[in-house]
Amino acid sequence: MKETIIKTSGLSKKFGTRYAVANVDLHIPRGEIYGFLGPNGAGKTTTIRMLLGLAKPTNGTIQIFGKDLKKEKLEVLKRVGSLVEYPSYYGHLTARENLEAIRILLDAPKTRIDEVLSIVRLTREAKRPVKGFSLGMKQRLGIAAALLGNPELLILDEPTNGLDPSGILEIRELIKSMPKEHGITILVSSHLLSEIDLMATQVGIISKGRMIFQDSIETLRRRSSSNIVIKTDEAEEAWKLLLSKGHNAELEQGRLQLSNISDHEISKVIAELVESRFPVYRVQEEKKSLEDIFLELTGGEGGL
Amino acid sequence: MLKILASDLIKMKRKIIWLLIFLGPFGVAALEAVNFGLRYEYLTKEYEKDLWGGLINEAGFLATPALMLGLTLIASMIASIEHQTNAWKQLLALPVSKLRIFTGKMLLASLLLLISSTLLLIFVLILGLVLKFGSDFPLLGLAKMAYYPYLASMTFIAVQIWLSISMKNQAIPLTVGILGTILSLISFRFPDWLPWKWPLLENSWGDPAYSALAGLAFGIVIYFLGAVDFTRKDVN
Ligand SMILES: Nc1ncnc2c1ncn2[C@@H]1O[C@H](COP(=O)(O)OP(=O)(O)O)[C@@H](O)[C@H]1O
Ligand SMILES: [Mg+2]
Repeated sequence: MKETIIKTSGLSKKFGTRYAVANVDLHIPRGEIYGFLGPNGAGKTTTIRMLLGLAKPTNGTIQIFGKDLKKEKLEVLKRVGSLVEYPSYYGHLTARENLEAIRILLDAPKTRIDEVLSIVRLTREAKRPVKGFSLGMKQRLGIAAALLGNPELLILDEPTNGLDPSGILEIRELIKSMPKEHGITILVSSHLLSEIDLMATQVGIISKGRMIFQDSIETLRRRSSSNIVIKTDEAEEAWKLLLSKGHNAELEQGRLQLSNISDHEISKVIAELVESRFPVYRVQEEKKSLEDIFLELTGGEGGL
Repeated sequence: MLKILASDLIKMKRKIIWLLIFLGPFGVAALEAVNFGLRYEYLTKEYEKDLWGGLINEAGFLATPALMLGLTLIASMIASIEHQTNAWKQLLALPVSKLRIFTGKMLLASLLLLISSTLLLIFVLILGLVLKFGSDFPLLGLAKMAYYPYLASMTFIAVQIWLSISMKNQAIPLTVGILGTILSLISFRFPDWLPWKWPLLENSWGDPAYSALAGLAFGIVIYFLGAVDFTRKDVN
């Protein structure tokens, strides 16, 4: 099994009387791009702030690189790069000076500044004051700053938020290249399923502060393709028959639904229906899009 | 700690804060130049026995409100650099302890005001020489004029740094600082234990060193409280 980079248990954060994050158990293996997905206000930023030691959890524990964040915060943070919400920068300074102010604190070699500038392709803009940068450039500078310390773990909170399509593409390609080229583990949050779908290898879905799904992106996709719908007369009788035979069927709008079912089982189901003289009008596979799954999981709240 | 100071100094590049640090003491010396220029006859008669002492006295009088106002602005500017784009979250996610970050800001403000105080000493010295008060200037007296109020106002440096860092809206710390400046101007008849009186260096023992010491000691206490508060609070 792969080494676990981030592991939280029962992570919770309360503001006033409301839990913004409730009992979140994150599990992020090394080398993955973990897409942290959830509608606005779901608790993504709050979770990320706790992972970076910026906010103290009300309850629960955080382990990063197998170390307790509470006890070894600085040791952990040495190996983490981050970009939280909107980019932070010192507008009156040039891109290079911005990075230099951070580099000193990290004790990184001076040459690292040129390296990260070239990774985010800001080398030619390095001498301009950052306040004149576009949002996309500021965002890239933020990523450059996150990369300065050669992190093993990169935490990016909605890095494509507010960017135009070409800016989004650029950041996405950058993120996708990291684990391959630098062996970095990435946690990237977004409220857009399409974003996560395009870059993540693992997905965690959070809604109203609770994790409602956490697995590989393939598992999420698989969930979206294997729904068999059967149309028949007297659906309720047919449904009871299938249940009595031990099939995991559901009755929905007068149709039988079987999800996650193998070819072998579906043939048995049909045979049983026919034997009991239920007319089978239609057997069809209904493909739910990831979007449907997302909406279903989040209870219809906040789609694209 | 030096790394933090170096990083903070990079952030101060091309900021008008440097102008302020120069302009404060320069303004005090310039006003005194005007003061002595206009009332040369009167003032040289008044301070006949000790011309240098007279100049130090007059300059010290102006220096106190300038210092109180200056420290308020400097603390606010230092904090604003981080507040502006909410850089705290970036800064505090680095492997540097919050205590050190807070201490760095306090040190930076103290250092900048120390530069200001030293400039004041130099400018007043030059003014005295230009006014031909003699080359036997009292360096100790000049140093006391420049550094005692500085030490006595350490309490306010700590208060303003704490306030300015704790809240994004700088209207509150600025108001507190400006009211404090006015309060210190009229605090002659207040009891000795009132911190606003300390920068005036007036106390019933008649030794300004006590005021300086009180301000420094209490400043360290407030710095400590501020640091504890800062490390405990979540970063916005
Ligand atoms: N400092 C705070 N004080 C009070 N409520 C907060 C604070 N920060 C976030 N919240 C609330 O917590 C919830 C989760 O917010 P957030 O983590 O920013 O969501 P997301 O990043 O997923 O959009 C929201 O309802 C938000 O209003
Ligand atoms: Mg957010």
